[in-house]
Parts: sequence; structure tokens; C-alpha cells
Amino acid sequence: MSRKLGAIALAMAILVGAMGLKSAFTARAGSVLTANGSDPVPTKNPWPKKPAYTVHAPAIR
Amino acid sequence: MPGPIGLVIWFLGIALELSFVVCSLVRKSFLQYLFLNLYLIFVVVSSVTRFLVLRNYGQDSDQYMYCYYYSDLLLTLALFVALISLYTRVFGELKVKQYLYFVAMAVLLGTAIFSYAIVDRSSERLSTQFAIELSQNLYFVGLVLTYILWGAVMKLRETRTRLVQFVLSLGIYFSAYAASYALVNMAEQLGVVQYISPVLGCLLPLSWTITMMRHTEESRLATAQLVTVQR
Repeated sequence: MSRKLGAIALAMAILVGAMGLKSAFTARAGSVLTANGSDPVPTKNPWPKKPAYTVHAPAIR
Repeated sequence: MPGPIGLVIWFLGIALELSFVVCSLVRKSFLQYLFLNLYLIFVVVSSVTRFLVLRNYGQDSDQYMYCYYYSDLLLTLALFVALISLYTRVFGELKVKQYLYFVAMAVLLGTAIFSYAIVDRSSERLSTQFAIELSQNLYFVGLVLTYILWGAVMKLRETRTRLVQFVLSLGIYFSAYAASYALVNMAEQLGVVQYISPVLGCLLPLSWTITMMRHTEESRLATAQLVTVQR
């Protein structure tokens, strides 16, 4: 039982470390990190465009 | 289509990937490093598929984008499995295979849940977003796992040259990709940075091929020499 809990704790620690690294590297990134082979990366951005935010000011009466 | 330099790097990468598979067949080590070979075979198959899609639809098409990112997820999963196979070889004598598989499955499941939680709010193209997010997260999990494996290699004083060099190559490959990614985002306007990532893609099969060619399964290396401080 303790071995299984240890395994889960280890997996969570690895996950936390990896996500911390990812946040550090991709905080201001606009592109996608791909790391398999020497193929050219697509020029099209896979992330959909965020909707433009409009601020509606309350009408003054 | 990419320019001539891009095409040369692409075909060079495919040739190096094939050369590793051929070398391991010639050295009769194909089954010993089955998952490394399978990973590189998958890379070659995906490269050919991507080339056909690219030739028919172009680099800025939706088809190429989907083909690229979905195949990238499959390749990252294959690389993850290859990394776990290196773990089982390093920890083979400790008889902790079951424990390793359990941790690997927990990490994979955790990464998938985490990736889904990130893209959950995205209503359009959910599966594509999920594929990209999972691929990126698995890449960073692989980076951490490689460094843990390198620590284990040092701690257990692993002496098998091939194994040590495979792990080291993988560590350098992951680190170089992370560094190049930071560089690309910092200096996106420079034309030369677009070639860094494909060139790095050639380095892993190159170093694995050299290792496979130069060393036999019986070759031994003293890792302690790498960390001993000279007095």
C-alpha cells in the first residue's frame, strides 16, 4: 500500500516539476513547442484567435 | 514548400533516423532497443506522411497543421515509451519493473488530466487543442524524467556505454530543444532561428547512430570519472 502511495507521490512530484518548467519556458511564448524530427513546423497558428474584448460603459443618465 | 535548406535538413534527418534502425539491425541490437527503434520508425513514417500532405496542400494549410500536430502527439507518446524502456534497462537488476510501470502510467494519466483541464474551456477544436497541450506537457515530463534517469545512472554507477550515451543524448536533446524554444520566442524576427529546431531534430538520431556504430553491448564506461573532482 505504501509503495503505491509512494508511486503516486513520485508521479505527482514529476508532474509538478514538469509543469513548473513548462510555465517558465512558455510564459510569454506565442508558438508551440514541438520536438520530434526535422520536419518544418506549420506556419498556421493552431491556437484560435481570442475574441476582442469590448468594454461597455454604463449609460449616463 | 520549405526552402532548399529546410528540405536538405528534413531529408538529412530522415536519413539519420533510418541509419539508426539499419545500424541496430546490422549490429543485431534491434530487439534489445526495440522501443528506440520503433520511435525512430514512427518518426520516419510520420515524416513521409507529412511530406505527402505538405506537397499536396502546402505548409500553411489546415491539413498540414492537423497532420503535423496529431502525429507529433503520437511521436511524443512513442518517445515517452522509449524513455520508460531505458528506465527498465537501468533499473532492470533492482526488479522494480511493476513499480516503474505504475509510476509511468500515473504520470501519463496525470498529464492527460492536466492537459484536458487546461483546454476544457476551449469550445472549438477541442481535440486539436488537447493533442497540442498533451504533446507539450509530455515533452516537459520527458525532460524531467530524463534528468531523473541521468541521476539514477550516476547513483547506480551504470557502466553500459550504450545505455549511458543514449540517456545523455536524450538529455542534451531535450535541453537543447527547451533552450532553442526560448531563443525562438526571444528572437523570432531572425531568419536563422527557423532552422534551429529541425537541426536539433537531426542530432538525436545522429548521436544514437554513432553510439550504436562505435560501441557494442559489452562496452563499458566508468561514469564515476565524469563526476570525480580532480585533486
